[in-house]
Amino acid sequence: MPDKFESLRLELLRSGVSPVYVERTIFELADHYADLESAALSAGLGADEAARAASAAIGNERAIAAAILAHPELLSFSTRHPRVAQCLHSAATIGSLPGLPLMFCIEHRPELARWGAAVSVAATLMGSVLAMLNWLIVLPF
Amino acid sequence: MAQTNPPFLTGVPELLVLRMLSGREMYGYEIVKAMRLVTREAIGFGEGVVYPVLHALEEGGALKARRKSVNGRERVYYAVTTKGKRRLEHLSDEWKRVSLGVNSALNGANGNPEHA
Repeated sequence: MPDKFESLRLELLRSGVSPVYVERTIFELADHYADLESAALSAGLGADEAARAASAAIGNERAIAAAILAHPELLSFSTRHPRVAQCLHSAATIGSLPGLPLMFCIEHRPELARWGAAVSVAATLMGSVLAMLNWLIVLPF
Repeated sequence: MAQTNPPFLTGVPELLVLRMLSGREMYGYEIVKAMRLVTREAIGFGEGVVYPVLHALEEGGALKARRKSVNGRERVYYAVTTKGKRRLEHLSDEWKRVSLGVNSALNGANGNPEHA
């Protein structure tokens, strides 16, 4: 059922309506449509007629979109305040820069663990070889 | 001094929604049905436009919404808040004032402007 209002959903999202309100509106419209359709079926209409009656009663999608866009408070923050949102976005990006290496390490934990183990084994082997060489060199004296 | 009347043009859906919800909480379809009944279908509108009004009133703090499951179907129920009750009183007063003025003009209480 929500697919019925897919074009309205896309239009609202494109127009900058808050995604929370978009999802809720689509959910409520689909529910409302189902109620209208069952009322029409109960009144004795056929399935096609009931669907047509429900669509007519719920109204034109453009009118619904226009009614939503007439309420600026339902628009997303970044649509209402694009400059502020841009500044906040930039600040957040700059602020997150120092955390990037840490985030990288957390994300690549298994690879880093393998790399650490390999380096440790290599260092141990190299240390052993050097120690042995040193012992061989030192031994004659 | 003449007052401006923005609610006369833009407050009618708000007023009706708040009035419908002043008695009990309802979901969208119920609100529209109640509206049609009490206005004797005098106001024609696509029923889907009730949701932006509900969401804007909720955003403004006049309504609160909660999801409730009834007979296996989840619905969003709306109820009026204290702020909404005050808003309803204000809009009702505005509407009464405006309709009184319009009725007065229609009934010709102040004379015909053409003869002024």
